[in-house]
Amino acid sequence: MIEETLKITNKHGLHARPAAHLVKIAGKFKSEVKIFKDGLEVNAKSIMGVMMLAAEPGSDVLVHIDGEDEKEAFIEIKELFDNKFNEE
Amino acid sequence: MNEYITVRALLETNKRRLKLKLLCSVNGLNKKIVNAELHRPGLALSGFTGTFTYERIQILGNTEISFLKEMPNDALRKSIDKLLDFAIPVIIITSGNKPPAYLVEVATRRYIPILTTSIHTTEFSHLLADYLQREFAPRESFHGSLVDVYGVGILFSGRSGIGKSEIAMDLVERGHRLVADDLVVITRKSQDVLIGSGTAHSEHMMEIRGIGLIDVKRMFGIRGVRMQKRVEVEVHLEDWDESKEYERIGLDDKNTTILGVSIPQVLLPINPGKNITVISETIAMNQLLKTYGYHPAKEFNSNLKKHMQEKNASPLARDLDQLEKDFE
Repeated sequence: MIEETLKITNKHGLHARPAAHLVKIAGKFKSEVKIFKDGLEVNAKSIMGVMMLAAEPGSDVLVHIDGEDEKEAFIEIKELFDNKFNEE
Repeated sequence: MNEYITVRALLETNKRRLKLKLLCSVNGLNKKIVNAELHRPGLALSGFTGTFTYERIQILGNTEISFLKEMPNDALRKSIDKLLDFAIPVIIITSGNKPPAYLVEVATRRYIPILTTSIHTTEFSHLLADYLQREFAPRESFHGSLVDVYGVGILFSGRSGIGKSEIAMDLVERGHRLVADDLVVITRKSQDVLIGSGTAHSEHMMEIRGIGLIDVKRMFGIRGVRMQKRVEVEVHLEDWDESKEYERIGLDDKNTTILGVSIPQVLLPINPGKNITVISETIAMNQLLKTYGYHPAKEFNSNLKKHMQEKNASPLARDLDQLEKDFE
């Protein structure tokens, strides 16, 4: 199990397009990927769930990954956060 | 698309509607019309044939006929000889005018058909252009089904056996209207309108695997069919492919091009437990919303962005008032 706090650094926060990128990557892995923010827990493979977090720019979210390919999943998800969700 | 129509076809098809009569040259009826445009050869009659578009249908109206009638005999003969030297497919004389005898004489000799009509030039030109544009419109046949769903023409495509007919049938059962199944003839009308219809003999018949041919019109009645419909969305059905990405949000509209016209396309993977009929109705309604200026995905995203800017709001916080009033 991997649990890590990641920061949203892109300009508009986790809106529809970044959420789609995140869901796409999370969906590639067998592991369970969850995201926590402000008491809300969502499945990172669900687009509506991820958007409902309304994670604004500069906010922190807790990423929780559990499963056989959790390491690979975390590397790719962290990379997406670091690359500002391929925006800008 | 027709590459040409014969003068005979033009005459036979429009005899009644355009009040056409053959004045001369039965031998010229096989002449080919290769162009949907009409031409009034005013300048050519007066002697200037530099840019004469002789391959078009030549219309002689009041102006041309009075001009010819006022010409001295010599000049008239010269002018007509020069005009009919060109390979004109057909001459049509409108407004019930009578051509000079010499024109008929030369036309007969050169196998150029002359048709007459009692309709006035302007009206006649509109009516004829309408027919010609239909005949010369770009056209192709398309393997798929076309159904009018809530007034939106949905063209279903996808490999043979994926269930296009079954979906069309299901839609008809739910009160929508079948245009054509299996073979849809698509014609481009004007620059950006695609019209789909069945072939001449299809008669709203449909093949359902395991049953055979179904007569949709007899079975569901006249309200379940229509003759033609504008093609507005293509729904492409395909087998679910795990490695392929399907649209999750719909912010970017995907398009496909048919006969040079771009229309929205939806890629729909088929997998168990999915009601494609209801999804098709949803696609139609979504298309209607977009047509009326409301784009759900864009609207939602802009609200979400706005919401994120008001940082105070926690995602769990809702309007308490709403909950307090709900006593159930």
